Amino acid sequence: MEMFRFMIAAIFMFCGVFCMASAVFGMFRFRYVLNRMHTAATADTFGLLLTMIGLIIWKGFGFEALKMIIIVGFFWVSGPVSSHLIARMEVSTNKKLEEECEVKKYGEL
Amino acid sequence: MENFRLILLIFLVLCALFVSFSKNLLVSVVIFMSYSLIMSIIWVLLESPDLAITEAAVGAGVTSVLFFITLKRIGAIGKEHPDEQDETTKEINSRPAVKQFGKFYKGAAVTLGAAIIFALLLMVSNLPAFGDADNPYNNEVSERYLEKSIEETGAVNAVTGMILDYRAFDTFGESCVLFIAAACVLILLRDDKTDTTAKAIQDEKFEPVSDTILQTSAKILFPAILMFGIYILVNGHLSPGGGFSGGAIMGAGLILHVNAFGYKKTQRFFNEKTYKRVTVCALSFYCIAKSYSFFTGANHLESHIPLGNAGDIISSGLILPLNICVGLVVACTMYAFYTLFKKGGM
Repeated sequence: MEMFRFMIAAIFMFCGVFCMASAVFGMFRFRYVLNRMHTAATADTFGLLLTMIGLIIWKGFGFEALKMIIIVGFFWVSGPVSSHLIARMEVSTNKKLEEECEVKKYGEL
Repeated sequence: MENFRLILLIFLVLCALFVSFSKNLLVSVVIFMSYSLIMSIIWVLLESPDLAITEAAVGAGVTSVLFFITLKRIGAIGKEHPDEQDETTKEINSRPAVKQFGKFYKGAAVTLGAAIIFALLLMVSNLPAFGDADNPYNNEVSERYLEKSIEETGAVNAVTGMILDYRAFDTFGESCVLFIAAACVLILLRDDKTDTTAKAIQDEKFEPVSDTILQTSAKILFPAILMFGIYILVNGHLSPGGGFSGGAIMGAGLILHVNAFGYKKTQRFFNEKTYKRVTVCALSFYCIAKSYSFFTGANHLESHIPLGNAGDIISSGLILPLNICVGLVVACTMYAFYTLFKKGGM
């Protein structure tokens, strides 16, 4: 039973680490800031969630698990907001936005 | 290893000389940065990695950024011809009194520098040899701190017991340094525009853009961050943390509040007056409380400050209030730095 639990936890943690690794890979692979932001946001939200779920399953539900849940909650509130701010900064400062990506006008949405 | 250390020390001296002799301020700052990096390698070699990290982050990183921003704000870099002086400066520099003062200043600076170098060299020659077995690194002080700190200071966290009880004088100096740094930034960067319309326009320019998503998340996060900071602050004597880390978190929370809601809403509960009152009160309370305990300790008097049960939240005598003082000073200083560099006022 203990072994089984550890296996499930390991699968979760492996998925989380895979998310973070692909995010780091994408960060250096992509050249444009919005693409980079998109990949980096995956690590903050999905990668962190999977890793923390793995740790909670491994260690059992206790006070530490509660702390981890709070950490995940904090990141799920703050991570997307920081991505949003970066994207807004890029849209408001880049004058050649049309060359980089397809921009829809406000009315077309 | 010995040669490597020697090379590093020679580089250090060379860097110090180049910083003072270079004509270009930008070059000086960059050389000063490399000075800090070499210093951090030396700290690692001397087995204090914590100081090395601090030196690399604060000495090479933050200080250089502050220097760059300051030089830009006062217009020393970014000009086409930095050596070109305008008419009034030339006129002032050609006055005989100014010239005489310049000569006196140079002479006094050389004399003072030589005296300080002489005194420091004299002190270094009296230090024990490097790597000696009888050096203070190996003596009974650290053992005493680890074994007796719960009994003598009442703090479960031995580090807090050290920095706020055995070595409280150090920490007082550090808090004062923070206050002095904030005061210097205030003197250099504050905008005292008498023209109220120009000031209003400038305030408008630096007002953060109102963003609904950021505001909604800040509504959730700001109380949580502040509460977490206070938790670390008041648990400083029980768990890792304390004044400096808790204060930094609270300062970060205040900066988030400014960015989300703007200066007007933050000024309702934190403006320049609050900053002055809080820092001065915290520092003077620290000074008075610690003077009292030093006085009684030095004269072998009973201090009448109960230590309480080790492990309780209200215990360990003066450490809890001193932690709160340090935390308040750190939080105020972080926020003050941010706003002063951003728009030149609080």
